Amino acid sequence: MSALFDYHALAPELILAFTVMAVLAVDLMPVPKYYAAVTGLVGLFASIIPLLTLALCSELSFCSDNGARLLFGDSYVVDTFSLVLKGLFLVSAFISLLLAVGYVESDRYYQGEYYFLLLASVFGAVVMASSRDLISIFVGLELVSGPAFLLAGWRKGDARSNEAALKFFIVGVLSAAILLFGMSLIYGVTGELTFSGIRAATVGGELPAVFTLGVLFVLMGFAFKVSAVPFHFWTPDTYEGAPTPVTAYLSVGSKAAGFVGLLVICYSAFANMRDIWGPALWIIAVASMTLGNLIAVRQTNVIRLLGYSSIAQGGFMLAPFAVASMVEGVELEGALFATVTYLLFYAFMNLGAFGVVMAGMSKVKSAELSSWSGMAQYAPGLSMLVVIFFFALAGVPPLAGWFAKLVMFQAIISGAPNVWAVLLGVIAAVNAVVAFFYYAKVVKTVWMDSVPVEIPAAELGGSGLNPALALALGITAIATIVTGLFPGVLSFFGEATRTFASGF
Amino acid sequence: MGDWLSEVANWWFAAVALAMGYAAYRVVTSANVVHAVLALVATLGGSAVLFLLLGAEFVVWTVVLVYIGAVIVLFLFGIMITRAPLGYEAELDHPPKTKALAAIVAGAMFLLIGWTLVDAFGTEEVTASVTTVGDIGLQLFGRFVLPFEVVSLVLLAALIGGIVLARQDPVDIEDQR
Amino acid sequence: MIVNFWVTLGIKMALVLGVMLVGALVSIFGELKISAHMQSRIGPYFAGGRWGWAQPLADGLKFIQKEEIIPDTVDVRVFKLAPYVVLMGTMAIYVVIPFGPDMVAGNLDLGVFYVLAISSISTVGVLMAGWSSGNKYSLMGGLRAAAQLIAYELPLVLAVVGVVILAGTLSLNGIVEAQAQWQWFGVTPEWLNVIPPYLILQAVGFAIFLTASLAELSRTPFDMPIAESELVMGYLTEYSGLRFTMFFLGEYAGMVALAAIASTLFLGGYWLPFVSDDLLNFIGPVVLITKIALLVFLFIWMRWTFPRLREDQLQQLAWRILIPVALANIVVTAVLKVVF
Repeated sequence: MSALFDYHALAPELILAFTVMAVLAVDLMPVPKYYAAVTGLVGLFASIIPLLTLALCSELSFCSDNGARLLFGDSYVVDTFSLVLKGLFLVSAFISLLLAVGYVESDRYYQGEYYFLLLASVFGAVVMASSRDLISIFVGLELVSGPAFLLAGWRKGDARSNEAALKFFIVGVLSAAILLFGMSLIYGVTGELTFSGIRAATVGGELPAVFTLGVLFVLMGFAFKVSAVPFHFWTPDTYEGAPTPVTAYLSVGSKAAGFVGLLVICYSAFANMRDIWGPALWIIAVASMTLGNLIAVRQTNVIRLLGYSSIAQGGFMLAPFAVASMVEGVELEGALFATVTYLLFYAFMNLGAFGVVMAGMSKVKSAELSSWSGMAQYAPGLSMLVVIFFFALAGVPPLAGWFAKLVMFQAIISGAPNVWAVLLGVIAAVNAVVAFFYYAKVVKTVWMDSVPVEIPAAELGGSGLNPALALALGITAIATIVTGLFPGVLSFFGEATRTFASGF
Repeated sequence: MGDWLSEVANWWFAAVALAMGYAAYRVVTSANVVHAVLALVATLGGSAVLFLLLGAEFVVWTVVLVYIGAVIVLFLFGIMITRAPLGYEAELDHPPKTKALAAIVAGAMFLLIGWTLVDAFGTEEVTASVTTVGDIGLQLFGRFVLPFEVVSLVLLAALIGGIVLARQDPVDIEDQR
Repeated sequence: MIVNFWVTLGIKMALVLGVMLVGALVSIFGELKISAHMQSRIGPYFAGGRWGWAQPLADGLKFIQKEEIIPDTVDVRVFKLAPYVVLMGTMAIYVVIPFGPDMVAGNLDLGVFYVLAISSISTVGVLMAGWSSGNKYSLMGGLRAAAQLIAYELPLVLAVVGVVILAGTLSLNGIVEAQAQWQWFGVTPEWLNVIPPYLILQAVGFAIFLTASLAELSRTPFDMPIAESELVMGYLTEYSGLRFTMFFLGEYAGMVALAAIASTLFLGGYWLPFVSDDLLNFIGPVVLITKIALLVFLFIWMRWTFPRLREDQLQQLAWRILIPVALANIVVTAVLKVVF
């Protein structure tokens, strides 16, 4: 029997909820608007503290137990898996907020509301990481996406931003409907809301075909959220039209939330259904990485390029799911470990890459690749960062990405005798090469091409970086380099989540 | 079948369900927006009556208050404040191909849901354990308190974000002056 | 057994209808007389002999025998249905009003919630009437009415929450009993509750409830939907004959209904001290009707005292004052309930 209310276990959520409200209150007061952002940053930092005390519970004197804490009739679980992912969400929110401060201050944006919505969305992601029943996870997902729809349209006067928000909203609502329909089918068949209940109800026995349909609908719903092919149509337009810091958040925070939902629901509720979701995700993974990479090669706009690249990276993250139906025990844990670890590495690299894009745009006022050519001549520091983040995304050692790709391939190969696993490995390897091509194209343009003639040289390299953006770039750059040299720093957290795959 | 006929509640159910079905059909086929919305009122009212037959009183009045009293009124309000001509609009009609497709999708959905329900429950009698308002309240603020509170934040975020996106910027108003 | 059920149902329906009609007619007469005296007039004095008491009846007969004119441009079905929808929403409230411990047509477990839900149906009827008339004044009147009803539905509901928190039940009978058994600091004798405890504890809620009721009823100072100097007669412009009578009756029946709900929630309802439950079934209605009459008088008094608000002022009053105050009232009530 689980405790009804455990304040220690819920402390991160409570602090974050308080922060969300505090940001609104600060926005109301007659103080400079960036105070609201500072409040948000402090709150995010404060809510990381209880994560640490929860993780180190056995070492601390005031803390009694150390196992997973089950709350609200097993529907909310605080274990190492959820703690690690909450940490990921809070840290990436911290960086997203830093990215946003300078941007929203630079023009006529509503600032306090921006920070409020961003934090509300993060709160939803944090709730999702612990949710272990259909209702909580759906509500959490809605809280992640609801504010994101609005943020995508934050540039009110800009038709493209409106288009971004509208596309994102319509697709998001459709996916929520599909997800909910799938969930209702599952609830109808099993009569259970909690994942542990669904798992218990699906042991061994024959299940009606409708249950399979429910599982597929749920997968489809989440596939929209992680913008996997063929549910990716909204991604490039939304990424391009939305304000850039929002895009950064969408490609990391909101996407990671979708992956967490997928991880939780696949490995716990549908643990006995691996034969269904394994093959389905195999197809989706292969389609995402292939299509994402092939289209990314032809992109001339850096943000669209990153949009397609994030679709492809999502395919890499989905690949370990696909082998989960072929392996057991430690290797099944390895598949989960690979996805979580990839997610952790990807977060820093991709946030950094968007930070660089924002910095680049503040210099040349454009995200078109052609106008970035020769940037190394007037902004060598920034160009160095381009090298770091884009090569990291490509997986060039010793930058962070290589280790993520390594564990991903390890997981795929663990299913090796199976012909599908081998095929997946080959496709992923080919894709990694294709991806290197277009990441390298950006680096080449920046370093080797000459400055375009139509841009007067006097206008270039003028303004310095906004301090918040510089801080965000510094954090992500250091993280990318350090975790590339010592991948154990991040993979330690991935290791901590391993046991989630083998039961609770 | 004889059992089914002898139960009065089943007759009520059949009558209400048929009426609902017709009203729902009118929602889709009506060539006047306001008529479609009013047919929707009838459909929702029918669902309230079905819940009443099941003895789920709280759900009944929630449906009435939230759907008929709030959602539909906002629908009507929105339609009337923008455009709501009397009579029929030809542009609301669809080509036969689209209609056929819609009919197929709707029929498939009906079969799917119907089959799921029969498959999952069959003739088994489902007894509800939580029916009174007090029980519902205890459940909401006990087992389901977290999603309940999260929903409140979803609504708050939607409210604030919606206002920000919809309002006329104070700066723009100053520009106009 | 089944027959018995239908007979009881029939009697109850007839009683509800009767109470509603009589209540509406009496309050119409009250309005005629009180408004006249407030303006130093005599008011009706001819029909029915003494005081002109039969004036509302005569009015009703006149309306019934008049020809009902339906203009060419109206949407006939919706136009004809609208008054029934409005009247239904009002009539259904009477079902749960407790006139005594057993003198209630249906003692619902969720009485208050039922009242708020069912009364919201009237809004749909008003919009139907406004739109189907095919008249700009009607449409604007209907829209104004809907905007007003949406805005004031919220403070109305929120004001009731305080009472529900104190009473711990949604049943109207339960709320009356809770007021009867209220104890100040656990020692005070029960008879002291002739001064209704919720009138003191929920004074803020009562004030909000009355204000919102006035707006829900579209009565001055909140009568923009039918403001005759601006919109002819608002959504009623095209109605005549029997259907107009139904709107007219519905308005006054609604006034009585909301006054009855307010008396039950805040003024202790039918309850009197030192009287057994059996006797209360006979005295209760008198007590409740007295309270209703006081509140109806208050409504009429306000109508002939305050000038009409402007549309934006009306919305500001609801969203900027009443709703925040009602929310604060809920918080304070809940905190006090937990503390004491």
